[in-house]
Amino acid sequence: MANIDSEKLSQLPCEMLSFNILKAPAEIGPRLGKFALPNRRVISTPHYVGISSRGVVPHLSPDMLKKRTNIDAVYFGLEDFTERLPIRTPPLYNVPTSEAYASKLKSFTVLPDDRISILGPRRIPAVETPKSNTKNGVSIHTSVGFAELNVRDYVTAMQILSPDIIIGLADVPQGDKPSSKRADKMDDRTCVWTRDMIVAEAEREVPADTPRPQIFAPILPTPIELQMFYMDHLVEDDMLKHISGLAIYNASNTPDLPYQLLHLPRLAMTEPSSPRKLLYDISLGTDLFTIPFTTAASDAGIALSFSFPATSPSPSSSTPLPLGIDMWSPTHATSLTPLSENCTCHTCTSHHRAYVQHLLSAKEMLGWVLLQIHNHAVLDRFFSGVRASIANGTFDEDRLAFEKLYEDELPAKTGLGPRVRGYQYRSERAGESKRNPSAFRMLDDGGEKLEEAQVEEGAVPSPGVDERELEEKGFAKPV
Amino acid sequence: MASKAMPSALKFDLIAKCSVTKARASTLHLPHGPVSLPIFMPVATQASLKGLTPEQLEETSCRLCLNNTYHLGLKPGQATLDAIGGAHKLQSWPHNILTDSGGFQMVSLLRLAKVTEEGVRFLSPHDGTPMLLTPEHSISLQNSIGSDIIMQLDDVIATTSPDLARMEEAMKRSVRWLDRCIEAHKYPERQNLFCIIQGGLNLDLRRECCKEMVARDTPGIAIGGLSGGEEKYAYCRVVDTCTDLLPEKKPRYVMGVGYPEDLVVSVALGADMFDCVWPTRTARFGNAITSTGTLNLRNSAYADDFGPVEEGCGCICCRPVAEGGLGITRAYVYHVAAKETAGAHLLTMHNVYYQLNLMRQIRTAVVEDRYPDFVKEFFAQLYPSKDKFPGWAVTAMKGVGVDLLE
Ligand SMILES: [Zn+2]
Ligand SMILES: [Zn+2]
Repeated sequence: MANIDSEKLSQLPCEMLSFNILKAPAEIGPRLGKFALPNRRVISTPHYVGISSRGVVPHLSPDMLKKRTNIDAVYFGLEDFTERLPIRTPPLYNVPTSEAYASKLKSFTVLPDDRISILGPRRIPAVETPKSNTKNGVSIHTSVGFAELNVRDYVTAMQILSPDIIIGLADVPQGDKPSSKRADKMDDRTCVWTRDMIVAEAEREVPADTPRPQIFAPILPTPIELQMFYMDHLVEDDMLKHISGLAIYNASNTPDLPYQLLHLPRLAMTEPSSPRKLLYDISLGTDLFTIPFTTAASDAGIALSFSFPATSPSPSSSTPLPLGIDMWSPTHATSLTPLSENCTCHTCTSHHRAYVQHLLSAKEMLGWVLLQIHNHAVLDRFFSGVRASIANGTFDEDRLAFEKLYEDELPAKTGLGPRVRGYQYRSERAGESKRNPSAFRMLDDGGEKLEEAQVEEGAVPSPGVDERELEEKGFAKPV
Repeated sequence: MASKAMPSALKFDLIAKCSVTKARASTLHLPHGPVSLPIFMPVATQASLKGLTPEQLEETSCRLCLNNTYHLGLKPGQATLDAIGGAHKLQSWPHNILTDSGGFQMVSLLRLAKVTEEGVRFLSPHDGTPMLLTPEHSISLQNSIGSDIIMQLDDVIATTSPDLARMEEAMKRSVRWLDRCIEAHKYPERQNLFCIIQGGLNLDLRRECCKEMVARDTPGIAIGGLSGGEEKYAYCRVVDTCTDLLPEKKPRYVMGVGYPEDLVVSVALGADMFDCVWPTRTARFGNAITSTGTLNLRNSAYADDFGPVEEGCGCICCRPVAEGGLGITRAYVYHVAAKETAGAHLLTMHNVYYQLNLMRQIRTAVVEDRYPDFVKEFFAQLYPSKDKFPGWAVTAMKGVGVDLLE
């Protein structure tokens, strides 16, 4: 099946991405790395990448991202930009750039030059779609309804938008645990799509020093033995040398990865729901994370408050500490203390709990902005602590102490989230409210749930819903 | 009449006067730093400006913004404001704040508000219990907020009201309430109380009100009751009439006015200070203010428009990356605006910058004594041809010696 043209592949320039593993255990365990692309910030791993929605990290205007966060890399979902596919080319495909092969994705979203852009097919987390993937591509949710993103369109996006990193197209079904027949298809399709992307990039002729998108090959959530066809092809030299990293859908697969893939950086697509789950993935050697709970906490009015290694171990106390502070609580109304003591983020150095509490209760957008800045800073410190702990060789015990000190899950949300502005907005964030999304759910069930949500939320236009939003409501039917 | 002399916590330096119109350029020294007049003040209703951080607001060059007493009185409430130490501390804003009295919001937001000699009676929006806002309470709230400029409680009725007797009653009551506000004001040495000229569209009432209120010698003077739907011709006549009667050495604030052409004409009529929610409210709906008019960037016509929101604009969004800006395109705003609040933040920054920059240009033109030419250029940019110029602006400008159509 995978008939790979080795000659074409060999014409590719050598890899632009360098990933140095600084420390890794002989067998499975947490590891330290340095992730570097030319002219981009070097990322020490383990670390997180920011997640965008519609081309922005939610609540953060690009000047805030640049000035008030340390987000080194941002993930973009192509479905956020494919409003009119296949009828019309998405506008960002036409954005002029200063140099011929510069990244249109970056230029359009004004991501600062030194940050890394990562493009994947879907949002993180993604809304469930009523249709299954097909042999041609994956089902996506655009702002005008559901559509299929086929591998050809995806290759076009990769080549026109030139992200620094592109996540390969993976056939990951929704719904229940796939049957063995379905798992076979996943294996097959993902192999073909990954190969298609590699070949297409090899066939593209560009000047010698043009930066090419670095392809991260997906590793399916099914057990490795159910994706052996794909794995066998992936480790063949002609394919292997053209992938720069792995996009991992299930961290438990890491120990079973073919040894030929061990040198590659691993980006988790696992959507960990809590720091505890993050630590689990880290303990299996995951290097980079997309972490939806950061924005979800901000939306919920929660200021993350955990640190790693746990700084105040209180062995005497039997009640675990919360992982975040509910900023809706009136107890903060007159508190002039920062969200977290010793936090150096803009929110904590310029503002206080009383203001954030006031903004939330007054439903002012700034409340979520300030929380988003702080919550990303908490993640910065968390990962920096994790790296220090791995370097010291104390990760396992630090992890245990952390799990002992803190609660398992983030606190429940008590207040209202950001102002809901029409159907699309809500449905885009819908997946984020689920703490523990089941990995596989019945497809039809998912579709029904979504339709229910549409009816519920779309019934009464709220003030501030403008013509365009209403228009979209009419259009937002499953295709 | 007020029983005590009114101290002032400001200094007003008149820098220049237009040799043709009544436009003035001045510097107003306030407790939290000097501001250049004429000025536009963005409205940060609940101690926050539409998602911008105070730092972002500062970057637009804003040094004086509004907070609304009605909203802050409800949230976070007076006790909390006292505990925190006022609105500057609440929002970490090192610059100046102006607050309204709360009366206007009450009358416009609460249909059940009723005005008596004692104050404004209304039902609590929280639990429906009857409440009363008196001049004393409004000042007490504003004392707790700690704003640099505070406003008297006035009896606001619609200027379009045909009831002359009610209009006269409201004007006279506003004068009586001013005396009660002066009496109740605890911190005249650090907060400047402005009176508010009322009298609807009746010029005789306005004249009488000016005379009464000027005699009270407040640090600044506002012209009120003009932000709702009245005819623009009548609006201009009221401003023109009042400014003729106001002392030269005090700032004049026209409340609730903020469309660019209103600002340009009102300055020619001798006004110095303005506020309006429109520039920031309209940003939420995807509208960008430019020198050629307002653009709705949620219109699909902008989906592929890769130009800046406004060519040559110096705001952080429009400025190219090479000049330290973000290089935001209209297409990007179109893409983001309806879906993520950060899109609105971008337009808010642009719109606030536009308004403040317009005032800067106005001031420079006055200082250089070329204001009539500036006004002509402004209208020529905004409208495709002279026959499209609004009649009220042509008339008002003619009244101060400038023929826009010549
Ligand atoms: Zn912080
Ligand atoms: Zn601008």
